[in-house]
Amino acid sequence: MGEVSRRDFLNSLGVTVGAAVAASAGAVGSVVGPSKAEAQVRGTIPDKPYKIGHMTFFTGAAAVLGEPSYKGHILAAEEINAQGGLLGKRKIETFKADEAAGTDANVKEMRRMKLSEGIDLFTGVISSGNTPALGPVAEELKLLTIFVDGCTDFLFDKAVPNPHYIFRITNMQSADGVIAAVATAMTWPKVSKIAHIHPDYSYGRNAFDHFKIAIEKLVPGTKVVYEGWPKLGTTDFTSHITNAIAAKPDLLASSVWGGDYIAMYKQGLRYDLFKKMKFTSMIAFGVAPHAIGKDHPEGVIGGIHSNYYWNYPPAGKWPLNDIFVKKYFDRWKEYPNFQSEGAYTTLYLLKQSIEKANKLIGGWPDDEAIITLLEGASIAGPAGYLHIRADIHQGYKDAVTGFSVNSPDYPFQILDPKRMITIPIRNITAPPGWPKGEPTSTYTWIEKTWPKVTKA
Amino acid sequence: MSPIPVPPKRVLLYTAPIIVLLFVLPFVVPPYEVTQLSYGLIFAIAALGFNLLLGYTGLLSFGHSAYFGMGAYGVAFMVKYLKITSMEALIVGGIVAATAVAALFGFLCVRYTRIFFSILALALSQVLWSLAFKFFWVTGGTDGLRVPTPSLLGVGMAPGQDKMAFLAHRYYYYVLVIFLVGVAVMWVIVHSPFGKALQAIRDNETRAEFVGVQVRRYRYMAFLVSGVYTGLAGALWVPLNGLTTPDILHWTFSGEIVFFTVLGGFQTFAGPIVGAVVFNYLKTFAVGYTVYWQMFLGGVLVVLVLALPGGIVGTAGRLVDRFRKAA
Repeated sequence: MGEVSRRDFLNSLGVTVGAAVAASAGAVGSVVGPSKAEAQVRGTIPDKPYKIGHMTFFTGAAAVLGEPSYKGHILAAEEINAQGGLLGKRKIETFKADEAAGTDANVKEMRRMKLSEGIDLFTGVISSGNTPALGPVAEELKLLTIFVDGCTDFLFDKAVPNPHYIFRITNMQSADGVIAAVATAMTWPKVSKIAHIHPDYSYGRNAFDHFKIAIEKLVPGTKVVYEGWPKLGTTDFTSHITNAIAAKPDLLASSVWGGDYIAMYKQGLRYDLFKKMKFTSMIAFGVAPHAIGKDHPEGVIGGIHSNYYWNYPPAGKWPLNDIFVKKYFDRWKEYPNFQSEGAYTTLYLLKQSIEKANKLIGGWPDDEAIITLLEGASIAGPAGYLHIRADIHQGYKDAVTGFSVNSPDYPFQILDPKRMITIPIRNITAPPGWPKGEPTSTYTWIEKTWPKVTKA
Repeated sequence: MSPIPVPPKRVLLYTAPIIVLLFVLPFVVPPYEVTQLSYGLIFAIAALGFNLLLGYTGLLSFGHSAYFGMGAYGVAFMVKYLKITSMEALIVGGIVAATAVAALFGFLCVRYTRIFFSILALALSQVLWSLAFKFFWVTGGTDGLRVPTPSLLGVGMAPGQDKMAFLAHRYYYYVLVIFLVGVAVMWVIVHSPFGKALQAIRDNETRAEFVGVQVRRYRYMAFLVSGVYTGLAGALWVPLNGLTTPDILHWTFSGEIVFFTVLGGFQTFAGPIVGAVVFNYLKTFAVGYTVYWQMFLGGVLVVLVLALPGGIVGTAGRLVDRFRKAA
């Protein structure tokens, strides 16, 4: 491929830094304001409630990441209900379920919600261990489902390669590892020895694989000097921290998340971990924002699951975000995380599809009509434009990550809105038609199509 | 284990209406309730096996998730690597896998009793859990392994048939028949000389040895039978659940099996059956209606141990006796 410089390649990826909002999309609906369809509902609409099952972590260490999902969902439901409900008639009624009950119990609970409570839509779910279990069951039950997270590539690569009833809002998981690697290569291009600490389940392995393949392309010659695989839900990271330090890496990459991450960084401080090496995380700032204390190291790459942080797009640049953050804060007295944004946008995407379907066929649309309009749908949400890919029902928006900084304006540490890194998702994800690959399609796509950079 | 043996005729008289009810149920209750009952019956098979050790032999195993999980993973491996779809073959495979592990673990465990037995059983089962967890390229790790609908007696699911309808009818009857056979066989076992010998060991190990019972051998036999039952339950559970994950190999699931048995009453034959069915409803209800489901189940356990040590069946039996005496 000849000489490829890192700078040229990063430019070709469309990486932007700072307060830019990538322009894209033509006519799309948005999450706020009365939509045009609403004024002219066609046909008679039944007034029975529209039942939605929302599953997320309400207990355990994952709740600090998961509970904001429920709050985002409720905020949207309350707003829609205040306008009379879906198509002005059908009020949203939410049934909640605790994801912490375990995968098998979650499968049972999804069945119960559909067959016993008669839910119309299933949404939520955080863990990548759960969507591959629940997705096929939703298809069996013919249950319209929009997963907020649980964003493993495995779901649409292998578990349900031809989805009909199931959709997913947040970015595909492989984007986490890739954007973390891109941000690392841009910020610390001299790193060579890399240590890893990841939760020992599908998400951690996915983050590890994609970080590794991307960093090998962007910073050739790096090597992995330590791999630590704590079990999800672990609160004691001391052995992993001391082993990582002993390996004398230039960089620690980690996808530990939720309450687990809070425990890890607090323990890391005691060992001066962050003074001894650079630190890149895929999802550290994915928790409810107030959970990251001011003692958290500044200037590290604090990932947000490549999705959304509440202060970006920055105030004044993108009104939908200003409005969303204010409403969310007024309602819950805290700032939203990417789950809140995902769950909130989910309901507005549903609303938009139902309204469009009504406009086309009149009356209350059946699931087939809603599905047809969800496929290929676009909506402007707080985070930016969201597109639902028609072939794999996967939501796509620009991938983002950022750098931690303390601000006197907030009692917790934030991501610096002036330094946010944004990449158009199409440049870091396998495109439609790319053959299914191992471990993921995006992995083989990067492996085969990205050049290895040969100079800075 | 009532002190006065119940004559078999009376047993049939009591159980016949229940059996009839179980057979007509799919025609009167919605499919969802039927699948719930299938879960309950499957757990009941595991609890029966478990109680052969606890109630009849006096050994408290905190490691029965191992045999349930081996039954389940045995089936999942056969589906994944051998592409077998016949449920009968899968059950045989699941039982063989569970029994092989029970033969090994039992050999080590029955050398001990009381807490040492319990902890050793727990520790060994945790080894299996960590293997299923860590060897993700074989076992799927926490994602588990999916098991599609198998064929029953050579007849698969009709194309386009609703999976829930299949589970709520054909699969339910399949489970029910196996359950009834399992109960009958267990009834024969505990009332046989072998069963009596186990009870003698439970009541007084030294005396049992003096009358010529080969204590360790009998315990080992009981352990194997227990493993077979629990493995059978695991094999039946996978198609119903659709997938198997390391959760069912974890010691907390062993705890649930103990919970079934204590809830129903481990001093009675029917206790574990009732306990398993009730627990399944209780947990589903708790998870569905409150995020404090763990606290709720914990509360039930505390009340049970403090106020109703005889469990549901034991307490019901006591109430009936009191009522009779009063009359």
